[in-house]
Amino acid sequence: MAEPQRVRLVLPHRPHVELDAGQAVETLGLEAGFSHDTLAEVRLAVVEACLNALEYGGGEIEVEVAAHTDGSPWLEVRIVDHGPGFDPAAVPRPQLRAKLRADRKRGWGLELMRRLMDEVEISSRPGRTQVRMVRRQRGG
Amino acid sequence: MRVDTFELRVESRDGNLGLLEVAGYINNEAGEAIAREARRLLDSGHHTLLLDLSSTRIINSIGISLLLEVLEQILEIKGTLAFCSLSPSIAKTFQIMGLSQYTKVYPDRTAALAALAGRA
Repeated sequence: MAEPQRVRLVLPHRPHVELDAGQAVETLGLEAGFSHDTLAEVRLAVVEACLNALEYGGGEIEVEVAAHTDGSPWLEVRIVDHGPGFDPAAVPRPQLRAKLRADRKRGWGLELMRRLMDEVEISSRPGRTQVRMVRRQRGG
Repeated sequence: MRVDTFELRVESRDGNLGLLEVAGYINNEAGEAIAREARRLLDSGHHTLLLDLSSTRIINSIGISLLLEVLEQILEIKGTLAFCSLSPSIAKTFQIMGLSQYTKVYPDRTAALAALAGRA
């Protein structure tokens, strides 16, 4: 079985740093045979996960991107922050009609991650929140 | 094209149509710039705004939430918010959010301007 290609990053709390994680997805994903369109979706999901981790974690975050090429290629991304943690089940799903009337129009990140990726698992406790996401190449 | 830069070009077209050509990463700062220019166009009597995203490959959820503020303002005056030249991932993002219920989406600027000419 081929070992996955991995990139590990430690990202400081700095503007645009989430794009570095997106670039790692793009680089490994292209090498693994993913399409540009699929990678654009994965990149957005990873950007969203990083933004959440940076905002709620408060400090630097860790990102690991792994491209698995045993059989049909799949990408696995883990994002870890060291903030106070949260209950993912308590995060409401956003509804556009309600958001348009609300003062706070944010709150789309988790929904986008879940809809753009094949799997999203969140484990969270005080001091460590990990988001693990998987996306497989479809067709072709 | 660098993904982490942002440029915004604004044009006032005949018939109260405002065109915003957006290039680069739409995040909080870019979203605020778009919202500011959109508000200026609406305040000066434009009822239809077209955002050309042909040079935008990524828009994050904070940028999207700022576009929702623009949409809310346009709906209040019964105007039209339109987009053209969406990348497949941005089109999917808009579809996930359900934006097509409230906005118009066109394949390119030519098609958008032709369709919107009668509305503005």
